[in-house]
Amino acid sequence: MPSKKLRLGGSVLAILGVLGILALHWMVFFWTPTEASMGIIQRIFYIHVPSAWVAFFAFGIVALCSAMYLWLGDERLDQAASSAAEGGMVFTTIVLLTGPLWGRIAWGTFWTWEPRLTLTLLLWFIYLGYFLVRSSTENPQRGKRFAAVVGIVGALDIPLIHLSVVWFRSLHPTPVVMKPEGPTLAPAMLATLGVGLLSFTLLFLGVFLQRYTLAVATHLAAVRERRSQT
Amino acid sequence: MTYLRQIYAILWKDLLLELRTRERIAAMGAFAVLAGLLFNFSIDQTVVRPQDIAAGLIWMTLVFGGLLGIGRTFHLEAQDGAFQGILTSPTPKDAVFIGKITANFVLLYIVALLVVGVFTLFFGLDLGRHPGMVALALALGSLGFVALGTLFSAVSSSTHMGETLLPILVFPLLVPMVIYGVSATGRLLAGRPIAEVAGNLRMLGAFAVLAVGVGSVMFRYVVEE
Repeated sequence: MPSKKLRLGGSVLAILGVLGILALHWMVFFWTPTEASMGIIQRIFYIHVPSAWVAFFAFGIVALCSAMYLWLGDERLDQAASSAAEGGMVFTTIVLLTGPLWGRIAWGTFWTWEPRLTLTLLLWFIYLGYFLVRSSTENPQRGKRFAAVVGIVGALDIPLIHLSVVWFRSLHPTPVVMKPEGPTLAPAMLATLGVGLLSFTLLFLGVFLQRYTLAVATHLAAVRERRSQT
Repeated sequence: MTYLRQIYAILWKDLLLELRTRERIAAMGAFAVLAGLLFNFSIDQTVVRPQDIAAGLIWMTLVFGGLLGIGRTFHLEAQDGAFQGILTSPTPKDAVFIGKITANFVLLYIVALLVVGVFTLFFGLDLGRHPGMVALALALGSLGFVALGTLFSAVSSSTHMGETLLPILVFPLLVPMVIYGVSATGRLLAGRPIAEVAGNLRMLGAFAVLAVGVGSVMFRYVVEE
């Protein structure tokens, strides 16, 4: 049974991800140097950025699987899309929680219309719409198709949203917005970020596979129950 | 040619329906005028000059009022299975969609011009040297808006949440339209040269093209039984 292998793979990836995140926390607290201008708060960066990467990566999976679901109509593609969306929404929430905490100290404000922040908030609402349409139809098949449409249209609109919020931002420059840019990062910080990116991705993929096999199994159980009743 | 005739048939049917009931256009028009009235009382003219924020108010009125009417695109047809009849006809689904958004566009554009007219009157706006460009910005914005609005109106009207779901689905996607539309209109109202808004108008156009294209492809999956 392929789903058994997938579940095992999911567990292995999730455990690796958790171990990686434990190692990441050790690195964040004891190993990586403190950033000069922002101080200790900058360490939230190693949680914040990997979560943001996973949030958008997950939405890529949602859009891809949704498009293929509409095309091929295979139930498993919809289950994969919704499993990725659940994980994606969790990580988007993490980004939106850690961002303001960091921003309060680094920028002096919880919220600013910084383009990436704005885009992440909008992504959260697109995910919300995805789940709302999914669960609010009488015919579940329609809900799945509606959700797929939301996923695809959202993914196609995100580049335009990104362009527009960046453009909007450039109209209103604020003083001292610190942006941790890749090349200016010290090697130890870069290594910590790398561990963060890797372990968050592993954890996401692990949870995603687990959730996916659960969705497939639930579906199969429902089909069997219907058959045994008739 | 049949394709164009099919689009035209849907368009004509929707406009005729609206002409006879006048439900949606009346609701949107009344909303626009009343919103202008309330905005008038929400601005303390000793603190801000209305013309400084007029562009934003125009677009927000258009978005909120437009959603009121666009959200009911499929309302009349849902009764008596009229929409099932359209779907079972040999008309391609994208022709149905394009006919519907054209009809919605006509309605919304009338409302948009009404909003600008009313706000000009209420707030003593000066439309600047290029009123045609303001009209163009509103046309491009309205087109993108009706395309996304109609697509998701078909989605929301077949859920049990109904029209309450529509803003949640559409507002995040409308951000580019609001940003480029408001800034183009604001600059034109402030009398800035056309060169300053050309980029915004192009982006509004790109948004409209994307919305119409994506909507035409996606519509069949939304209405499929």
